[in-house]
Amino acid sequence: MKRWRYRPFQAVAVVALAALMTACAAFAPLYYRAMQQTLTHSVLAGAPAITSSLQLTATRPSDFDPSRSVVPPEIVADQLDDTYRDSFLPPVLGYNGGATVLGVTPGVFGAVIWRSGQCDHVEIVKGSCPEAAGQVAVSVADAKNFGFEPGTTLDVSGIPGVDGQSGSVELEVVGTYRPSPDDDFWLGQTPTGRSGAPGPGLSGAVQHDWWLTPRETFEDPGLGVDTQQSTAAYGVDLDAVGVAEMLQFNDMTDALARVDLGEGMGDFAADTGLDALADNVQKQIDQSRVTVPLLLAQLFLLSVVVLWLVLMAITEQRRPEVALARLRGHSRRGARRLLLAELVPITLLAVLPGAVLAYAATWVVGGALLPDPLVVELRWPFVAAVVLAAVVLAGVTLLASRRVANEPVERLLRRVPPRRARWALGTGEAVLVAGAGAITVVFAVGGLDGPVALAAPGLIGVVVGVVLAHLTTPTAAATGRRMLARGRVRGGTSMLDAARSPATRRIIAIVTIASALVVFSADALVIGQRNRASAAKQEAGAPMVAELAGTDLASVRTALEEVDPTGKRATPVLRIQPPGDGASGTLAVVPEAFTDIALFPGGAPDASVWSRLAAPDVEPIVLTGDALSVDLTDSTLRSVRADGTPTPVTVGFDLVHASGQTLHMELGELPVGARSATLGRTVSCTAGCILTGIWFKTFPAAGMKGRVTFSHLVAEPSGAAVPLGPADQWAPYSATASGSMEPSSTTPDDLTIELRNGGVAEITLNHAWVPTLVPALASGALPPGSSGNEFGMTGIDGEVQDAAAVGTLDAVPGSPPNTIVADLETLQRGRQVSSIGQLSVWFAEADQQLLDDTTEALADHGVAVVDARTVADVRRSYDESAAAWSLQLAALVGVLAVLIELLALVVSAASGWRGRTRDLAALRMSGVGRRSIRSMAVAAQMPAVLVGVVAGTVSGLLGARLAMPLVPLFATAPEVSTLDLDTAFGAVLVAVGVSLVVLGLGSVVIGRALAGRARLQRLRETM
Amino acid sequence: MSAMTTATTVPAEPAGLRVTTHGLVHIYRSEGHEVAALSGVDLEVGAGEMVGLLGPSGAGKSTLLSLLAGVFRPSAGKVFVGATELSAATPRELDALRARRVSLMLQGAGRNLLPYLTPMENVRFAQRTARRSGRGVELPEPVDVLAGVGLEREVDRPLAELSPGHLQLAALAVAMAARPGLLLADEPTSQLEHAARDLVLERMATLNRDLGTTVVLVTHDPDVASFLPRTITIRDGRVGGEGRSGEEFAVVTPDGFLPLPPHVREDLLPGTLVRFHLVDGQYLLLPETGGAEGVSDV
Repeated sequence: MKRWRYRPFQAVAVVALAALMTACAAFAPLYYRAMQQTLTHSVLAGAPAITSSLQLTATRPSDFDPSRSVVPPEIVADQLDDTYRDSFLPPVLGYNGGATVLGVTPGVFGAVIWRSGQCDHVEIVKGSCPEAAGQVAVSVADAKNFGFEPGTTLDVSGIPGVDGQSGSVELEVVGTYRPSPDDDFWLGQTPTGRSGAPGPGLSGAVQHDWWLTPRETFEDPGLGVDTQQSTAAYGVDLDAVGVAEMLQFNDMTDALARVDLGEGMGDFAADTGLDALADNVQKQIDQSRVTVPLLLAQLFLLSVVVLWLVLMAITEQRRPEVALARLRGHSRRGARRLLLAELVPITLLAVLPGAVLAYAATWVVGGALLPDPLVVELRWPFVAAVVLAAVVLAGVTLLASRRVANEPVERLLRRVPPRRARWALGTGEAVLVAGAGAITVVFAVGGLDGPVALAAPGLIGVVVGVVLAHLTTPTAAATGRRMLARGRVRGGTSMLDAARSPATRRIIAIVTIASALVVFSADALVIGQRNRASAAKQEAGAPMVAELAGTDLASVRTALEEVDPTGKRATPVLRIQPPGDGASGTLAVVPEAFTDIALFPGGAPDASVWSRLAAPDVEPIVLTGDALSVDLTDSTLRSVRADGTPTPVTVGFDLVHASGQTLHMELGELPVGARSATLGRTVSCTAGCILTGIWFKTFPAAGMKGRVTFSHLVAEPSGAAVPLGPADQWAPYSATASGSMEPSSTTPDDLTIELRNGGVAEITLNHAWVPTLVPALASGALPPGSSGNEFGMTGIDGEVQDAAAVGTLDAVPGSPPNTIVADLETLQRGRQVSSIGQLSVWFAEADQQLLDDTTEALADHGVAVVDARTVADVRRSYDESAAAWSLQLAALVGVLAVLIELLALVVSAASGWRGRTRDLAALRMSGVGRRSIRSMAVAAQMPAVLVGVVAGTVSGLLGARLAMPLVPLFATAPEVSTLDLDTAFGAVLVAVGVSLVVLGLGSVVIGRALAGRARLQRLRETM
Repeated sequence: MSAMTTATTVPAEPAGLRVTTHGLVHIYRSEGHEVAALSGVDLEVGAGEMVGLLGPSGAGKSTLLSLLAGVFRPSAGKVFVGATELSAATPRELDALRARRVSLMLQGAGRNLLPYLTPMENVRFAQRTARRSGRGVELPEPVDVLAGVGLEREVDRPLAELSPGHLQLAALAVAMAARPGLLLADEPTSQLEHAARDLVLERMATLNRDLGTTVVLVTHDPDVASFLPRTITIRDGRVGGEGRSGEEFAVVTPDGFLPLPPHVREDLLPGTLVRFHLVDGQYLLLPETGGAEGVSDV
């Protein structure tokens, strides 16, 4: 210890560095494990109870013998091996039985159940919870829908006999219940919500909710209840399940799948989503297995390299002491022992604080990055990492000591250590450079991937740092000499000083490697955040989206106009997703609002693109009234069947009601041979209907040909004539296979149609207000069967509609790939929203008040909000993943890398300060002023720091380009990729700036401290 | 601290070691060129002698000292320390020699001391290898070693608190800690004031006298040289002269050469022809001057 008391700064710096190295090694397994535990908890807590629970069921065999009952639920519960029991809460035992009410029409059927402790988890609204065999409690809805009030006796079907016939059982209603809200007792199964819902098939029978009954009802053989299943439901115990237990769930489900209750004991089934959750956790662990080593191993290696260089400097400083030992008869081994006796205890002394530091850092970093609960476990990987760190520390110390101790005595005795006269790379450094360079080159040409390749930033930093360190020495020397020759004494002296000092090479190498890591860390961190944000925006679609029940688009639009008359804060969006993998869906939007509200990760398309979606600029023919009539004149229209028999032609209108409902309305028949007729009928168009088409229909396979003029279209009761022309407001139709329709008109009021059917029974002339070709924006490839830019898209009615791609989108917000975007109004013309349509409201901001107002307005119009989520909700799902947590370590790595750089500067100064201050004192002796001495002392390290930071930045950027494609950014890749691995130059600049400021300030402080100690007495110092 | 008493140890080895060199040549490389530091040194120092090596800077004094310590291996010639031929010794034998029998004091007291130890601890450190080699029982206690050089009161003081003279004495104590048979000292008084210098020399002389240790020290200080009973002047890598009891002699080399003293060389320029004449039992050196003859005493 005396030796270290003599050099306390060195001792502190070496301990700090060694502790940091140990902490880097020990932190990785601690954080890795803590992350796994948090991930497990997050996955389990985020999963629906039905998924995270284990439901065991024994079902009555199909050839059930009434003399034998279903196995007791305790036996079912016991099928779960004790190994796994601790992961679950005590099981909820139960029976399920069938209960079809007899003697009522329509039939009422459903389940009667018992669950252990059920009465504690329902609210008894009337009566009491059933306690005796034959008693039941029914839901409030059943009481209301079916009149099953307490006191009612229900005659229900009993257990089937050997003949398959069921007897009857009398059950007495003793109470009505309501499930307690937010109660996990039912583990995702809902006792209510079925009352009054139709049953399967066409029987007309309806369901009742679960009836609750005590256990005795099922186990009383005299009662004869139709007992079908015994159950045991295990809720997962979040506090008891760690990652180890989680990863055993697959074995558990395998074991349960093999359970056989025995002959005639019925079938056994285990239902759970835990195995899928375990797979998810395992997958994310596998991902983080790449990222965590990528970051922390490089930091560990950096600290090893720094420690190695620092120990080299320290052992170099011990040369006179080693020489003395050799002169006193110590062998090389003895001299080495002398060094080791000094260095090993101090480095190993750092192991314990390093381990403690790692433990504390895990709490701090884990607390900052990981959601609660944070679990930090001291397991064998942690111990192994600490031991590894100790071994590496001892090894590095041994190597550094050997280097000096093995030198011949005559070299050790020289006051100035011998240097190579010319530039040369040491053997170790050459091997290091060659190895790291070879791996980098192999990786860059695509021959390598995986964790080794992910170390690219560190490897490139090593190559660049070591080579540059060697090149800088002769360069600085030549520059210094040139500056001196030009009379620039201060600068020239500083450069020569830098060139002469081995510390310069060390600093360049260390700062380059560390800066590469800092830059890469900052880049990776921001790229990760940016991609998660982009993916969240893409998936969410808008800052907030509310999914709606039903397809009442008109009501939705009305409600939204009340809440947001400007249409800038909320907009309706209708999605039609036809079944089938990869089928192109349609997103119907209000383009002006959608452009402003939707989140486009890559930026919204130009406004001109959206303007192409506009509906045809044609005034609609609006009919308002409760009856319509129209005159048909000058008709030559004839229809003849295949056998030559003339047949009348049916004429009708296609209308769109103000509510959006389409009406395919028949006006009447044009009799055979008639040249004119007046057709009419009552309609429900008092709120206004739009005439979208005129159609003609004849007998199947009959021909139809001729012309007819429509005029004097009148909607009662106004009696005013509605103009049908001019003809250019109608879309001519011509197709060889399906006939043709050609409109013409002599006045704006009438419309003459010449038509020919091509064998089809019905043919329609559409008004131009209805688009014949919907302009659309396509993302991805056009659907199969497209021709040029024309293709068939799914209309809002679910039917195929002709469309033309007028532009493309990289991705459609909130939508899967291959989505077609079109104008909602255009799509609405002549079509009605299909039941498969999913309506939603997209909001410009995640404003809860806005959501509440909208929900209320929608409710006033009979539309319910089913679900609402914000982009932050989606972002959270991306952030709470092992991939994100691993990558966020980059922030820690960056900070520590800067710290290590700074520490290296301090140690470098501390290990050579006596010689350095003597040099400065000599300059003072030769007349150089104090201020100049200070400037020179400060400037001595700056060139090396600057060169290192610049080289490290380049190495880090290059390394990031190579490594980032291999870094997992997401637990599961988003359906629509928004991957953007471009360099985050802003973050890089900040990181470089911080490095420069920290190292610059460090250099100033160190330089000033050295200058302050450069007293003339130093020149007399012989110690 | 143990009682400060006069050293009572019994030297186990022969008190002093005889030192002999034959045709010693040492060549080293400097910036690509070979430089002969010593070019045929023949030397003999008797056991228990105290000899000073004199000469100008760069003459090869320190190189010769390093060769005698076994730090360098000679390019040619032989070095004997006692019965050991250093030029043929293995590294292990050299380590053993330095551990027990030959001690080298480097120039500058600080280079001989571990800065973080006290004088006593330094002495103990210097005795460590000797103790390991089984000579522990023969070695004096560190405090006695320090008392032997007059540092009884400084045994536990930090080195930083010692005066330069005391530091040099501490270095001397360390060098003598293992009771070596040969003490080699490189400029042991070069950074000392006169009083300290004299004190150090007096202590060295005492040790030489009391313990019988052979002492070879390098100096360029005439005052130091005058203190020594015998001096050997190294000049241009050769033995250029020898002084005994204040009188200077030229030394005839084994191959019959006679190096001229510097003041004679100023008169007899290279290429000068000379004759030797024996006159009344004395040799006369007569330069050929083309008539007039000058006479130089040899």
